[in-house]
Amino acid sequence: MRKLLGALASIVLLAFLAVPAASAQTGGATITLLHGIPATNVDVEVNGANVFTNFQFGQMQNLSALSGTTLKGLKVKVAGTATVAIDAGDVALPATGNYTVVAHLDAAGAPKLSVFSNDTVVLAAGKGRLTVRHTAAAPAVDVRANGAVAFANLTNPNEAKADLAAGTISADVVPTGASSPVVIGPAKLTITSGSSLIVYAVGSLSGGTLQVLTQSIDGIGTVPTRVDSGNSPVSDGTSTTTLALLAAFLMVGSIGGGALVVRRVRG
Amino acid sequence: MAAHSSCVGFVADQFNRNVGAGGIHPSRLARPWIATACAFVLLSGCGGRAESSIRSVEASTARDDSSSVVSPAAVAPVTTSSLSPLAAAIVPAGSALYDPRAHTSGAAPVSITLGGAGIRDAPIVAVGVDSRGAFDVPGVREVGWYRFGPRPGDAGSAVLAAHIAFNGVDGVFRRLASVLVGTSVTVGSADGSTRAFIVAAVERIDKDELPAELFATSGPSRLVLITCGGAFNRERSSYEDNIVVTAVPVTTGTQVR
Repeated sequence: MRKLLGALASIVLLAFLAVPAASAQTGGATITLLHGIPATNVDVEVNGANVFTNFQFGQMQNLSALSGTTLKGLKVKVAGTATVAIDAGDVALPATGNYTVVAHLDAAGAPKLSVFSNDTVVLAAGKGRLTVRHTAAAPAVDVRANGAVAFANLTNPNEAKADLAAGTISADVVPTGASSPVVIGPAKLTITSGSSLIVYAVGSLSGGTLQVLTQSIDGIGTVPTRVDSGNSPVSDGTSTTTLALLAAFLMVGSIGGGALVVRRVRG
Repeated sequence: MAAHSSCVGFVADQFNRNVGAGGIHPSRLARPWIATACAFVLLSGCGGRAESSIRSVEASTARDDSSSVVSPAAVAPVTTSSLSPLAAAIVPAGSALYDPRAHTSGAAPVSITLGGAGIRDAPIVAVGVDSRGAFDVPGVREVGWYRFGPRPGDAGSAVLAAHIAFNGVDGVFRRLASVLVGTSVTVGSADGSTRAFIVAAVERIDKDELPAELFATSGPSRLVLITCGGAFNRERSSYEDNIVVTAVPVTTGTQVR
């Protein structure tokens, strides 16, 4: 269902992007704007006025409150100037789903905006999701994990992803089909259970500014459904439990504390 | 959609079209953007081709083109600084800069002391979920740490669970329900370090309604201790509820009981 919604949202997004957009209702999408162009502070303008200024490389802005609306005349400008680096026109923000809008360099080094849909499909217990996005001014690359190619022939502006066992991996990036030179890394990446780690390769190969940015999306894991931690009565009966809770409740109640919460007291 | 010409080439092309057609028809490509993108490329020294990469929807009004080519020297500071009304809806969402410290695996917890429940250096083992998807609670003399969640002291919820009683033997968390708010909890780690917490809440929750937030992987750091409690159902050999103790890291000035 989530996938379907995501796909629909993508279609809606593209539809809005293809034609001058009408007003839309505010939605519940999660939308993050990521600045992925090194050494370039920018101002972001919508409808002729700045919405934030001096936005720095590697920083993120949460646009979720504007999901389902259309940003008219979205421009990314060199900070403090009228110089437009990216003119995105009218951009309709989707009403559902989870997206990252990345300001980055294309393969040839020109600034652009790309919209990535973030996979938030629930992970199995013990698994984390790793997504690698090529958003750098660089040719096709292979992404290696612990020395072996994990994602081959990744090109700008595309992504590759996998659900991995939680743990730490050492990742690096090499030109496609080659074992050297290592153009990014090696960098340690912690794959956290129930969390999606999104790694962006950003910067410029020729400019010597290749590096990674990371974004995490938490809370998409499977947690234990229940805790069964007793199959027999305690040695001196269960009433102690209740009495102790009651005593604690009365004590805290008498000092006006609210930290102790007894949701249900049974006889 | 893509402008497959270099900046210089584009300007020449634009000139020709202007001469030939008496101006450029507004297209889906915003011309000033191409020009300024070229300027940007020049500024950033990247060179190469300027490609239309943006989903540019609206044509800007065609202006006299030569003036829209901005050279580095022509970059002028913006004088107006008033923010859009939309600004209030947009909030900073932190840094995406790679931080190696966020990718180091810390030491696992190995022992717990909770004097208020008669627990002294009880061993902690790392566990996951069993075949039913339930917390894989270890043996009656051990405490299980949910290894797919945060470690004690990390952001989010570090969860430890142990039996109240198993096969007639009292478990490590036998007296968890009698713990009082303000009691100190100490967790020892494999690297020899210890972390101190203080009990902030003791709850009894229907076992079928255990909130998933107890296993939060982000947010404030907290230590969550879980065992069984409430009425014992002899027919099902099971307790009706869970006892959930939440402890928070000790900070300077915290009153410890």
